[in-house]
Amino acid sequence: YFNPPRTTHYQPHSVLVPANPYLLEEIPHWLNVYFNASPDLDHKLKWDMFRLQDLDCYNGMLTRLYKQELQNIVMRYETYRSALLVEMEKFRNSRNGAVTGQ
Amino acid sequence: SLTRQPEEVFDIICKLGEGSYGSVYKALHKESGQVLAIKQVPVDTDLQEIIKEISIMQQCDSPYVVKYYGSYFKNTDLWIVMEYCGAGSVSDIMRLRKKTLTEDEIATILSDTLKGLEYLHLRRKIHRDIKAGNILLNSEGHAKLADFGVAGQLTDTMAKRNTVIGTPFWMAPEVIQEIGYDCVADIWSLGITALEMAEGKPPYGDIHPMRAIFMIPTKPPPSFREPDKWSPEFIDFVSVCLVKNPEERASATDLLSHVFIGNAKLPSILSQMIQEAHEIRENQSYRNVSSTANIVGVRQNITEESDDEVALGNQTILPCTDEGTLVPGKGGTLLPVSQSGTLVELGTMVINSDVDEQTMKRHDTGSSQGGKKYRPLFLEHFDKKEAEGNGVVTPTTLDGPEIVPDEQRFQSHFHVQLNQVPSPQQAQPQEQKAQFHRPFSDGDFEFLKFLSFEELQQRMAKLDLDMEREIDELRRRYQIKRQPILDAMDTKRKRQQNF
Ligand SMILES: Nc1ncnc2c1ncn2[C@@H]1O[C@H](COP(=O)(O)OP(=O)(O)OP(=O)(O)O)[C@@H](O)[C@H]1O
Ligand SMILES: [Mg+2]
Repeated sequence: YFNPPRTTHYQPHSVLVPANPYLLEEIPHWLNVYFNASPDLDHKLKWDMFRLQDLDCYNGMLTRLYKQELQNIVMRYETYRSALLVEMEKFRNSRNGAVTGQ
Repeated sequence: SLTRQPEEVFDIICKLGEGSYGSVYKALHKESGQVLAIKQVPVDTDLQEIIKEISIMQQCDSPYVVKYYGSYFKNTDLWIVMEYCGAGSVSDIMRLRKKTLTEDEIATILSDTLKGLEYLHLRRKIHRDIKAGNILLNSEGHAKLADFGVAGQLTDTMAKRNTVIGTPFWMAPEVIQEIGYDCVADIWSLGITALEMAEGKPPYGDIHPMRAIFMIPTKPPPSFREPDKWSPEFIDFVSVCLVKNPEERASATDLLSHVFIGNAKLPSILSQMIQEAHEIRENQSYRNVSSTANIVGVRQNITEESDDEVALGNQTILPCTDEGTLVPGKGGTLLPVSQSGTLVELGTMVINSDVDEQTMKRHDTGSSQGGKKYRPLFLEHFDKKEAEGNGVVTPTTLDGPEIVPDEQRFQSHFHVQLNQVPSPQQAQPQEQKAQFHRPFSDGDFEFLKFLSFEELQQRMAKLDLDMEREIDELRRRYQIKRQPILDAMDTKRKRQQNF
């Protein structure tokens, strides 16, 4: 069985735990900037000016940014891992080649 | 029952184990002489979660679900009194006997487990942490579902929880992807548990949990390492549990009529196994395994376990039973990153205009080739997202390199690396520590061509540690950035309550 790529939410009537509501929401640019900026001046951002539901939303989006960055890190190391394996394989092959060549 | 002091009511006999919430003790109910299990939970941990666990357990009355009797407060601890399962968890038994289970044993355990799951699912309860460590056996060999640490029910508050929870290796793809899920998420975990009982560890169990989290939704469903060793019925059973699309996955009720379960023997076939485990337990006084980590990092767990590798005939397995539960956003000390940026105020919003040059520099370790203006990673990421059209955050970004499937070699290196002393960088003062330098720059691996085989090996051995350190740094940043939002929400909620 091949799982087709999903374009919509998995949302049959029986779903008990709903999808993350912030999964599709576009993350405002400033939140991105905030997440990546030095924390030194974070205190200038007056979060209590926002409504509770907005804060909940930004909290969810921040978690999403965190998970995206987490994925970026893991994938970067995945590339690094395969590059290392390729180079190590070359050594193994040349060693074998030297043995059989004699 | 919260009125009397618990020590008046019970005698604590000994410690049974430790979990992510607290410790579990064997106890005697003085009045009736009945043996019970008591979970002691320090209440400064997430009380909401614990009270939910209790109320869900309390509602359950099934021979296939661990019975809950009541609870007490003792100083700062909450005592949860439950049915005692004399043989401990299935993973305890595997670890003690240093043996995986036979097909007959697995079928018998799965049969009871499925009855427990059917009971819960008919009541629209999701267990959410099915694994060998949460299937307990009583001394007659009856299996019971335990640990509703993260179990949930259809309630208003349920709708609010969207953070990924559970133990990564057993988690269903739809749970990881946060696209919504229901009871059949437990069936996926059951399939993983079946593989765990057969092979001693879940699929991907020996790789970093963070890698596993991204592999589970993207890779085809896992299966047996050595399919020749197993009957077609067992293989089919696992394959109908491990269907990626939840809509096409079997239910507990469906699986109870599967031929593999139909052929299951009586619980009495487990008595020899239980007896053996019991004797081993008697012989070794309780070793404080203390593998209670409720963190993502697996390093600590594996290091602790590396000295009790389980010999399995001629093949070696690593028990991976005590990862604890993945609880996001907990633990970790806050570490200020010593960097400066200029802030420009835009109304109430504060935007750091220099952020791209200032803080994103660390992504640019030397790869600024050919006058191509540096773009911070996150912007590139969003460019890509835009090009894809407002895509769901599914692991489509995993389209990168093919992961070289060489777990065998990986595993051996994993050990080397985990036993290494912490790198000197960790011992350095905070200023230095905050700036972790990735051992490579993005997309440029030319330099590897000039390294010796030994240098390559060293890099490979350090890889997971390096990655973990970078993840730790990210997690710290996330916590620092999130805290003010959480604080503001807290203040607002309190203010609302006061009106
Ligand atoms: N009712 C019980 N009867 C007998 N032993 C038990 C009982 N409940 C728990 N145990 C033992 O205590 C150990 C700790 O249990 P606990 O539920 O606290 O954590 P866990 O299952 O190891 O991890 P997690 O909290 O992540 O599920 C178990 O592994 C098991 O060996
Ligand atoms: Mg448990």
